[in-house]
Formats: sequence, structure tokens, C-alpha cells
Amino acid sequence: MENGATAGTINRPAGKQASLTQPLLQVQDLHTHFFTESGTVKAVNGVSFELQRGERLAVVGESGSGKSAMAMSLIQLIAYPGKLVSGSIRLDGKELVGLGEPELNKLRGSAIGTVFQDPMSSLDPVMRVEDQMIQPIRMHLKLGQKEARKHAVDLLTRVGIPDADNRISAYPFEMSGGMRQRVMIAMALSCRPKLILADEPTTALDVTIQAQIVELLKTMTETTGSAMMFITHDLGLVARFAQKVAVMYAGKIVESGTVGEIFSSPKHPYTQSLLKTIPSVSGEKRRRLLQIQGLPPDMKLHITGCSYKERCPAASERCYTDAPELMPREGGQSAACWLKNGLMTEGYESITTLLSQGEKPEAKEGWNRIPLNGSVSEQPDSPGDDNVVLRITDLHKHFKKASLLPWKKGAEIRAVGGISLKLQRGETMGIVGESGCGKSTTARMLLGLDEPTSGRIEINGSIQIVFQDPYSSFNPKMKISDIIAEPLHVRKIGTKEERLRRVRELIKKVGLDLSYLSRYPSQLSGGQRQRVGVARALALDPSIVVADEPTSALDVSVRAQIINLLCDLKEEMGLSFVFISHDLSTVRYISDTIAVMYLGEIVEYGPAEEIFVHPAHPYTKALLAAVPVPDPMIEGERTIEQLRGELPSPANPPAGCAFSSRCPHVTAKCTERKPPLRGYLERREVACHAVS
Amino acid sequence: MKQEAVARAVGQPAVASRPRIQLPYLSFLYVNKNAKWAMVILLPILLITFLAPFLPLQAPLESNIRASLNAPSLEHPFGTDKLGRDVFSRTLSGIKVSLFVGMTVALISLAFGIALGTASGFFGKTVDRVIMGVVDIFLAFPSLLLAIGLVAILGAGTVPVICAISLADVPRFIRLQRSLVLSLKSRPFIDAARTVQAPRLWLMTKHIVPNTIAPLLVAASITAANAILIEASLSFLGLGILPPEPSLGNIIKDGQVYLQQAWWISTLPGAVILLIAISLHFLSDGIREALDPRARK
Repeated sequence: MENGATAGTINRPAGKQASLTQPLLQVQDLHTHFFTESGTVKAVNGVSFELQRGERLAVVGESGSGKSAMAMSLIQLIAYPGKLVSGSIRLDGKELVGLGEPELNKLRGSAIGTVFQDPMSSLDPVMRVEDQMIQPIRMHLKLGQKEARKHAVDLLTRVGIPDADNRISAYPFEMSGGMRQRVMIAMALSCRPKLILADEPTTALDVTIQAQIVELLKTMTETTGSAMMFITHDLGLVARFAQKVAVMYAGKIVESGTVGEIFSSPKHPYTQSLLKTIPSVSGEKRRRLLQIQGLPPDMKLHITGCSYKERCPAASERCYTDAPELMPREGGQSAACWLKNGLMTEGYESITTLLSQGEKPEAKEGWNRIPLNGSVSEQPDSPGDDNVVLRITDLHKHFKKASLLPWKKGAEIRAVGGISLKLQRGETMGIVGESGCGKSTTARMLLGLDEPTSGRIEINGSIQIVFQDPYSSFNPKMKISDIIAEPLHVRKIGTKEERLRRVRELIKKVGLDLSYLSRYPSQLSGGQRQRVGVARALALDPSIVVADEPTSALDVSVRAQIINLLCDLKEEMGLSFVFISHDLSTVRYISDTIAVMYLGEIVEYGPAEEIFVHPAHPYTKALLAAVPVPDPMIEGERTIEQLRGELPSPANPPAGCAFSSRCPHVTAKCTERKPPLRGYLERREVACHAVS
Repeated sequence: MKQEAVARAVGQPAVASRPRIQLPYLSFLYVNKNAKWAMVILLPILLITFLAPFLPLQAPLESNIRASLNAPSLEHPFGTDKLGRDVFSRTLSGIKVSLFVGMTVALISLAFGIALGTASGFFGKTVDRVIMGVVDIFLAFPSLLLAIGLVAILGAGTVPVICAISLADVPRFIRLQRSLVLSLKSRPFIDAARTVQAPRLWLMTKHIVPNTIAPLLVAASITAANAILIEASLSFLGLGILPPEPSLGNIIKDGQVYLQQAWWISTLPGAVILLIAISLHFLSDGIREALDPRARK
């Protein structure tokens, strides 16, 4: 209530006249802290902003930047031990801080609708969709059972659920992820909210489904006139979706402005660097990604000065003593940096020079293969060989699902249905596709974790893997040194001292300090853990490294570091990579060749650049179109050819071409005959009847 | 050892940040609130029990008919029984028996539980079916009933009591360990070790068992408390430790007849059992909290 006095003097963005109509949402100096046993985490540390009616605001930031805590503070659903410490939140002029639980409950779901990140866990699995939807509608809109149900069916139809009248009585587990997220959106819209909070609503979904959901959210806010706060770490989505952007770093908004302003002339070094470091799907390909050094600060510690100073190449002495406030710049933009134009103070190109300073200058010491007892490389390099390190021939993996009736044969799921590939020494092959396309199963077979049903895998040398989530792929009870040494230890290679020497060499190789060796995985950050994962994979001196989504569990600002590390190692050691990812821009950056998979089969194969510039298969085209580009100009001009429907179940694939159920150019031939993978142009292969 | 050597070799101080909870470091005992309470109760009891021979007390078996059924006093803090024996000194002697039974049962259960449960969960198939079949048969009996039956067969005394109680508790540990192993088996770090062709023994000893110790210790401290209660029950029924050797159960039984005239004979040893059981439960809560990653953060 003490904020009542200051509410009249909210800083409006300069250059914009305070409109007569009050903004929908006014947040003033919000602080949310988490009181943990090991210290107070100041997750939200003084956030102020305004949101106009019908406006779409994107809040961008890495994990730990406080963006989710900030959103949850607005509806005051902060997980224990979090607490809204101070600040003011005004919705339509009404103060929300200090309201009692019953009043807040009335607001949540009626004036403010929420869409959560994971549609799998935000719906009650034992309740039918109708029971979850109708109750709040009846409560908030004071409708009878029949009208409420009608309203719910209406909403489900509007969010694109076919046959909504029947689907409304389904249980959540009978729906796919995309469908569930549609249900969540329908629920958020059900009581005609003035504001919708969407917390990473598409992160758990596949790209093609993500494209559908983002379009849906956009049209929904346009037709209903609700304002939306969209929390994301994906700058591409921001460009596609938002009107205004707020960039959060270490619990504070460091830059805000319209989408156009932020993307064309970012003012804060963090925003500028982020935009420079992400690899892009289109446009020119950089030789080496620019990277932001270091890690976000520990939010438990008190930060003096600017929170970004350690990672900022333009930091001056002043940044270490005084924290810059969010200060207005030209237009509606404001940024929290002492430099007027951030890293671009000395012209546009200065940012590139500044960021490249961080590149490791050390002379590249050659990778000396230490002779160890019981050498690892089973086969010596034979120059006569045509340099193929991996050859996959007609690989199949079928999973049998047990039938309920013992005498009946269970359904068979063809996870991988006959793929053939070849990988040259030093080559990187990207395997892309949506979840369920069989890319991870292929990786597991390559590593011998799953037995193939049929087909052959020939490996020249040995194969190792970098896992997706380095945290769960390490034994939490083992020290980093033991984790890296395990492959050597298990195979009884070298003496204890030799192994230790090797481990020290490896950890330096991946750019970590020796002091990390005696730590436990929980004491490392995500990026550091992934470096350890890489070091471990290199311990046996493999000829091939499989990287299964190695950057998807990492923060945006750290991804570039890992990608650069992989690229460096590839050059230095002549490694071959199999790079599995759904992140097309990363795949494009790192790969020489690309295999696009759909329902266990390769539908397109060829050199990466060619495929990205001229995709031939309709699925590849759709996949590329679905990836948002971090440039609002391009996004504004693009008409996105959305893929209809969902990925069919691999247990029951469509007859003929597997893609026929979603293909925009489907003909009668496609549903009858399966197109084989045929040669296309010089070095490409495509499986489509329409391409020849 | 190793990492210190590394650090020294490169001229760096050994890293200051320690792993949060490793079993050898029992720091949680004074950090954690539950564990602190357990220690506040248990430590004095242990101290007095093991110092008993040096205290100016009447020997547990020494009787003095003239001092029959004396109320608690400075000389006899827990009073005396019908035969004029000092109940306090008998109780201390009984605690020793109780703790011995509790600890032994917990250790036996841990050992068998880890061995058979890991085998069952890890190998699956026939091994699992055989072990689980036997376990399920044992689990079908109420544990006290099973113990009574076994003592009836094996005869009374400390060793048969330990065997009987263990036989009832081991199947629970096998079940617990099996479920822990099953959930660990599908964790990515097991896959990570399999990709370097780690042998199965390595997987079990290096990756699986170390990660099951925490929940097993929680269960073990509850089992110890439970074993102490069952031993007392058996002795009370005249099936456990036989008089004249004192145990908390048979002291209570002796006093039961005189409950109206001499309440102290049964009540005070009973209170001691209660305190030990409660403190062991506190201890298990403390261990759980200290090892639970969610509670840690």
C-alpha cells in the first residue's frame, strides 16, 4: 500500500505521451526473493514495466534470469520458498499486491489467464478435459452446466481442436502434446481474460507444432483483444510474435522497446551479443560463432554495479561500482547501460571485434595421442580405405508392444524403418526431425545401447556420445575426475597416474580449469557440465562422436560456447560427428551433410547448405518454414505454410508415403505407393514422388 | 586423495567447496533440525549406558530383599523391583541388548537387502522372479507373527531373536532396493557407462549401489527402531531374552504385576523404549532431509 504514493509517477517510456487511458498492467519495482537454506535468491530484483490493452509483450531471458518468477509473481503463484517481497502490481488500476487469497483466486482464471510451459503436467491426468474446463467457466462467468459446456466446446473449436464436441470428454493422456497445449490455451481464454500469461508455451513442443501454437496465440489475442505476456528464451519466436520486448538479465529488465527497435538497434550489450551469437537458419553462415564469455551471476550473491559487467567486453570501471538504471533512449526504447549504444558505441561493426576478443587466443597445441597400454583404436588408419568411418546399411528397429490378450500378437512400432548412411572421416552429419522420428533410437543403436532388429552398423574405430542433459548422464555421487576417467578405468587402460594425466589433459582441452576435477556434477553449471561430457566422450580417443541434442538443455548464451568447442575439436582432432538435434539453425551451422528423418525413415539427405537453401522434400520445407527467424523484418514478410495436423503414430503409419497425411501436395499416388529414397541433383537424395 | 594430488601438482589449493553430503561427513547431524533432536536424545542415553559399569550402581542381577519395591530415589533413580534389584541398572543393561538387536538387525537387513535386491532389480527375468517369489511369501506374514513363530522353532535368546526379526525385515529391504535399482537402471548415466562397455559388476558397484545408500539408510534407522520394539514385545511375551538376563521387554513384564503398587518398574523402562524409538525416527527423517536433493536446495 505504501506504493500508492508513487503509483502516479511511474516512468513512462520517453517520447511517448502518457495516454489518457490507463495501461492495463502497471508493475512497479517488483521484488521476489526465494528464501532457500543456502541463501536468499533475488530472482526478481526491481522490475517495472507497463502493458497496454491488447498488446503482446515478450519477456526474454535465460533460465535463472527471473522471467518465470516475475510472471508467477503477477498472479502470486510463487513456488515455495519464494515470496513477493515488495513492489506494486496494478491491473486496470487495481492493486494486486496485498490482496487476499480468495480475491486473487477470482482474478486468476478470470481477468488473467495462464498458459504453462509443459502441457503434459499442467492438466490433471485423472480428470476429463470437460471437468477441468467447465468448472472455472461456471464459477467465473456464472453460467449453467449446459451453457458452460457449450462455451467450452466453442472455445475448443476456436483453438483448432477437431470434433471438439466429442474430444471434450477425453482424458488428457488421450491427446498429443500440441492438442493439450491447445486445451490449455482454450482454458486460459475461457473466462475472457484481459491478460494472458504464457510461460514458454511452446518449449516442450516440436517445431511444426510450435508454429501452429504461436499462430493460434497470435490470432486469439487479435480477435479477443486480450493483452499477452509471452515468456521465452527463443529470440526467433519473439520476432515472429511480439510487439514489445523486455529483455531480462539477473532479475532485472535490462532493455525494453518495440520488436523493431530491439532487433534493428539493440542498445544493451547483452541483447546485442545475444542477437549476434545465435546461429541463423537463413542468411550468410559465419565461420565461427561469436560467443558470450562466462556465466550468468549467482543470484544468491549481492551484485555491486552492473550485473552483466563480467561478461561485457565494454565494461568500464564505472560498471563495477554503479548499477545503471533502465534509462530511456530514442523512440520508446530504454536500456540499462552506461554506454549510450552499448557495444555499438564505435559504429555497428565494433560489436564483432569486441565479441571476438573473447575467442581463445592460445596456440593450438596438437592433440598428442598418448600411447597407453591396450590402445583404444582397434583398427589403425589404413590409407587405402575410402575413409569411411561409419556405414549403416538398412538399419531397422522395431519395438513390440505386448498385447492385452496373450494369444494376440501385439502391435509393432517401427521406430527406425530401414536407413542407410555413410559418414566420412572428419565429416559432420546432422540428423534432424521431430520427436518420435527415430533419431534418438538410431543414436542408441550406433552406441550399442539397443540391438538393431536388422541391418548392419560398421564402425571404423570407436564411437562415443555426448548426451543431451549432462546432469542426468553423470552419476551424482562421482567426482568430475572419476567421471572423465571412467571410460579408461573400465577398459583398464593405463596406470592410475597415466589416467590422471590424460584426464587433466582432457579437461584443459575442453577449456575448464583443473580445479573442477575434484568437484561433483551438482557444483557445475550446465555449460560446464556439457564441457565435461565432451571431455569424457574424448577420453577413449574415438573416431566418431554422437552428439544427441548437446545444446538443448543449455542456456542461449552458453550454447555458442559449446558449439564452438565442438567445431574446434572437430578441426583439431579430425573427428567425425553425428549431430542429432531438432534445432535446425545449430545443425546447419555445424553440419556438412544433413539427413532429415520422418517416422523412422530418411526423407531427404544431402549437403547441409544445399538443403537449407533449396529444400526439396515438402517435409523439409515445412520444417524450415516453421523455425522462427530472429528478425522481425523477415518474419513479417514470411507467409508460413503451416503443416496441418500432428505426427502420426509410428505404430500405425499412413499407407504409402509416411508424410502423406500432412503433405500439402498429396496426390493419390502418395497414399498408394511409398516413394523410395532416390538420387536428386548431384549429391542429394529425396524420397518424394513429386521430386525428380 | 587423488584430486588433492592433482591440485597439489598444479600448485592449486585443494578446492574449498566440499561435496554437500557424503556419508563419511556426518555434518548433517548438527545442521539438520531432526537429526539434532535425535542426537540430543540418543547421545545421553548411549553415554550413560556405556558408562554404567563405572557408575556407583547396584549390579543388574544383584537382589536385596530388604529394599523390595522401593520408589525412585537418588540411590535407585528408577526404583527397585520385587526382588530389590535396581531397575535403573537393569534398564541400562536392557538398553545395551536392545541397541545391539536393533543395530544387528539393521545391518543384516542392509547387507541382504543390497545383495539380493540389486541382483533382482538389475538382472530381472528369472533371478527377479525367484527372489521376488520368496520375498512375497515372507511379506504375506505380519512381521511380529513371523517372529513369534520363528522364536518358537529356534528357541529363546538374543541370537534367535535377531534371526527372527531379520527374517521379517530382510524381504522389505529387498523390495525397497529392487525398486530403487529399477528406477536407477533407466537413468542416463547408466547408459553413459554402458556406452564405454562397463561390465555389469562395475555398473552395480559404482553406479547403482552408491545411489541407493541414502534411502536405504533412512529405512535402516526405522528398521532399527522397529526391531527394538519387536524385541521388547517378544521379551514381554516371554519369547525373547529370558530372565534373569534383563531386557527392556522382560523388565516391563516383571513390573506389570505390580503396576498398582510400583508403577515405576514398567513405566520408566517403557519411556526409555519410547525415547529410543522416537529418536531413531528423528534420525531417519534427518538423513532423508539431508540427502533429499529437493530439501537441499
